[in-house]
Amino acid sequence: MTALAARPAALARRFAPEIALIGVLAVLPAILPHIGGTYDIANRILDWGLFGLGFDLLFGFTGLLSFGQAAFYGAGGFVAAYVLIAPFTNNAVVALIAGTIAAAIFGVVIGYLSLRRTGIYFAMLTLAFGEMFFFLDISPLAQWTGGENGVAGVPEPHLGFGIFSIDINDPSGLYWLLVVIFVVGFWFARRIVASPFGAVLRAIRENGARVAAVGHDVPKYKLTVFVIAAAYAGLAGGLLGLLQGYMPPDAFYLDTSGQLVVQTIIGGAGTLIGPLVGAAVWLYLYTLLQNIAGIGALWKMILGIIFVLLVTIFRRGLCGGAVVLWRRLFARPAPVSASVAASVEPTRAAPEPRRSAQRPPPTGPVVLATRNLTKRYGGLTAVDDVSFELREGEIRAVIGPNGAGKSTFFNMLANVIPPTSGTIEFKGDNITGLGATLVCQRGISKSFQINQIFPSLTVRDNLRIAVLARAYGKFRPAMLRAVDRDGTINAGIEAAAASVQLAERLDTPAAELAYGEKRRLEIGLALATRPQILLLDEPTAGMSPAERVDTVRLLRRIASGVTIVIVEHDMDVVFGLADRITVLFNGHKIAEDTPDAIQANPDVRAAYLGSQAAHEPA
Amino acid sequence: MSLLEVDAINTFYGEAHALFDVSMRIEPHEVVALLGRNGAGKTTTLKTMMGVMAPKSGAIRFNGAPIGGLPPYKIARLGLQLVPEERRIIGGLTVEENIVLAGLSEPKPWPPQRVYDMFPRLGERRRSRGRELSGGEQQMLAIARALVREPQLILLDEPFEGLAPLIVQDLLGICRRLADEGRTIVIVEQNVEAALSLAQRCYILNNGHVVYEGTPGDLRGDPDFMHRHLGI
Amino acid sequence: MFNGLTLGALLVLVAMGLTIIFGTLGVVNFAHGALYAVGAYAGFVTYEYTGSFVAAMAAGAIFLLVVGVVIERGLIRLYYQRPPEDQILVTFGITIVLVEAIRAVFGGLARNIPAPSWAAGIVNLRVTLYPTYRIDVLAIVGVSLVLLYLVLYRTRLGLIVRAGIEDQLMVNILGINVTRTFLTVFGLGAMAAGFAGVINAPIVTVTPDMGADILVQSFVVVVIGGVGSFWGAVVGGLIAGEILSLTAMIQPAYSQVMLFAVMALVLILRPQGLFGVEGRQ
Repeated sequence: MTALAARPAALARRFAPEIALIGVLAVLPAILPHIGGTYDIANRILDWGLFGLGFDLLFGFTGLLSFGQAAFYGAGGFVAAYVLIAPFTNNAVVALIAGTIAAAIFGVVIGYLSLRRTGIYFAMLTLAFGEMFFFLDISPLAQWTGGENGVAGVPEPHLGFGIFSIDINDPSGLYWLLVVIFVVGFWFARRIVASPFGAVLRAIRENGARVAAVGHDVPKYKLTVFVIAAAYAGLAGGLLGLLQGYMPPDAFYLDTSGQLVVQTIIGGAGTLIGPLVGAAVWLYLYTLLQNIAGIGALWKMILGIIFVLLVTIFRRGLCGGAVVLWRRLFARPAPVSASVAASVEPTRAAPEPRRSAQRPPPTGPVVLATRNLTKRYGGLTAVDDVSFELREGEIRAVIGPNGAGKSTFFNMLANVIPPTSGTIEFKGDNITGLGATLVCQRGISKSFQINQIFPSLTVRDNLRIAVLARAYGKFRPAMLRAVDRDGTINAGIEAAAASVQLAERLDTPAAELAYGEKRRLEIGLALATRPQILLLDEPTAGMSPAERVDTVRLLRRIASGVTIVIVEHDMDVVFGLADRITVLFNGHKIAEDTPDAIQANPDVRAAYLGSQAAHEPA
Repeated sequence: MSLLEVDAINTFYGEAHALFDVSMRIEPHEVVALLGRNGAGKTTTLKTMMGVMAPKSGAIRFNGAPIGGLPPYKIARLGLQLVPEERRIIGGLTVEENIVLAGLSEPKPWPPQRVYDMFPRLGERRRSRGRELSGGEQQMLAIARALVREPQLILLDEPFEGLAPLIVQDLLGICRRLADEGRTIVIVEQNVEAALSLAQRCYILNNGHVVYEGTPGDLRGDPDFMHRHLGI
Repeated sequence: MFNGLTLGALLVLVAMGLTIIFGTLGVVNFAHGALYAVGAYAGFVTYEYTGSFVAAMAAGAIFLLVVGVVIERGLIRLYYQRPPEDQILVTFGITIVLVEAIRAVFGGLARNIPAPSWAAGIVNLRVTLYPTYRIDVLAIVGVSLVLLYLVLYRTRLGLIVRAGIEDQLMVNILGINVTRTFLTVFGLGAMAAGFAGVINAPIVTVTPDMGADILVQSFVVVVIGGVGSFWGAVVGGLIAGEILSLTAMIQPAYSQVMLFAVMALVLILRPQGLFGVEGRQ
């Protein structure tokens, strides 16, 4: 207690959003009568806001657009109402908890099914499952839910036990109850957003495939946030019954899910407070426009038009807009990024001496091996019976003309695509078919030919995703821990940034980096998982000649600790780096040797110049 | 006036700079080979000519009229036709439908029969779906799709890629016939020998820069240069 | 059985519009149900003025073609390059505007278009008595599907659409302005929805919200049949119609629920749908 009191300023800063929220909600009752509001409207707004907190975690932060949230809102509401009416208890807290848990359980089932697909399918499926709940409610379960009549006679909330119990029997009492629940819900959502779990969610929204590729179990993260959103919805649904003394079946309507989406967009997705503001706009406009002659009936159409306009030209919504405005007015301008684009030299910088000339050939144990690896697409055999062994500490280049099967082979190594036949072994274990996530957890990480970074996250947060995968394993729902309080993680991020020369740029959003820096971040993401084997897919693609020379130097430094396989078009890069080179042609391995021997190999020369007959497979 | 003038174009993939001040000229009735290693920018050059990618700077003129930045369908109607890498046959359509499709926007397209006269193999398979064809047949169809439009300039991107030697010989014969008919062709090919045997002139690209312009004979006379820019 | 066929046929028609628009444009049209409702009202107005059901059908189709074209030019074309979530949001917004516009003009009361005189009465099918109109609906939908099939498989437009579903860029390279085709496709899809709205009007009541159920059901059809597939929509629609009506005979309370249960099953066993191709863009 004293320790906390000793740092009031720090505490105030830490809880600033909650304090501001409590402040506004505390003075609201005094203002309400002057702006045509009532406790009843305020209570509804808070209930929608609570409902929206979960939805915002799901949509605003993770990018999953669900049109079925009404299912959980209704389920939580009816379970809570039924518990009170049956009555199994007269305690509202118990009923609300029961409703929340029920909604979460439904969330597990529907989430499991809906999350099998992404994007549009996910939206369609949640919508369909939401409707299924509505139909379940109105007929097969009518015995318990009252069908189209709903459940009437939900008692006024009775909280606590024994002598500590309170009965709430007026709208102002309900208001304070809702304020307490909303503020706690808001605090919890904000903790999630600021936790390692939340960091992974945001990265999933930006680029889910890459989150999986650095070793996170993306489906599990998605399911978890889906269940959290369902739980929020269930709690808000339970409160709806208490507010109205009646649980209406329209909680299950498609319109309910739709209204939630619209309110969240209007208020601002990804802000947590947005859905509350959106609900205020919706309910307030509804009340206000109703009373204006001539347009009373048009209020919803006007909202619809506003919604379409917001989606089309101003996706941030009111709160998002306010944040942008605030930053523009008060924040210091970000330091102008150091000019990076080195002028493009038409002639190449002198290539570095060959690495192979300076080192003995690698003799360590075999860490990665393929046996008779084959991939067929229909009638086309992209990779044909390739066996290959990689020794610890080696840098191996895979080269070959277009269509030789390099990238197919490479993607099979990283388990991005499964082979048609043959096996891949990592340190003696068969890893064929494990999938990219598990393979990355084992210690094989890949950087991509086309940048797969998280553009709106800072360099620090980009690298954090990869470091977290190594530190926390494929799934760990660390929701209450602050994301930047783990010293080992921070150290990991800084080390990774330093190794790809981005230490100065840690707080720059990735989208603002120069192209060469993005390319380095791409390599950094793979490196930050601390792999034993690093797979680099054309690391210098799109770079200027000067940047290529720098990158070769960088890769040499990195290579002191890891084993590397590199696919690259630029022969100067290949010959400057590789200890050994594997040459693929028409899906076959036609040579594998030191750079000097490869350069002298007549088959390889022919493959590159196209006198086909010499090495065409029989 | 050259048929096609490419004047110092710069093309980007997103932020990745792919072509650096590339300039070239294609005269009527000549076959020009565009050579270079993987990733040198050959396909990007063809795509920029066709309007699939827009150059960020520089000019492209076809018959003297600027076409840089126009959408592909407008460029196609002016008489330029790309036969793209990997052929891109519409797999769900039959051979004949692919041919008809290609002629739809052309006022006087070849009737399918004329294609079958030239490629009897396609005539035999006119009712087969594109995805059922072999690689060589698909390549014939891809070339036929360009021919029905009677283009003034044909851009061939890797026509021999992934095909067996015998089929390559067949296709080479077809290309030679087209050249003998006086058609203007730009060919991009990894198979340097095949491309040089067709061309009167060639350009070599390296890392997005034009590093050589000359005749196949001159190029063959400088094996060191060839190896530096084309081999390994 | 026959109820299922009629309902299934209508679902096929609505889902067909949805699936063609998605297959070609890559846009999931959440406004499809609203377009269906607008079609029903256009038919209703025409019927009130002319007393002719045929005129109502024609008006529903033509008016919706226009509405579809306006929506595509005004809004949808701005969304081809945006993420699918935005496309869903904007079409959802269009739904709100359209449905509320109907409500503002016609009020919330249910309206009715009577079955046309040439289809009034009841047919004795030996096994059961059956309203003539429902059999006519089967015929009408059958004819429209054949027409749609002919348009898709026997015309220039259809050739471009089928090619465009597979490889837009290549079609463009062959000198064809693909965006103009998009406009036509969106218009055609809207037209199918509007037409379905009119012919279903004598069977159900016409209300501003009538599109919601049909939208959800046609999503189910598309998920079952596979997105972007002509035959997927046909088979999916008929399956859905039969599930709804057969379950309704045995256990009415579960008919809708059963539909979603089958969808969940398909999703688990064959996520790309019965006729869908996995991994196509």
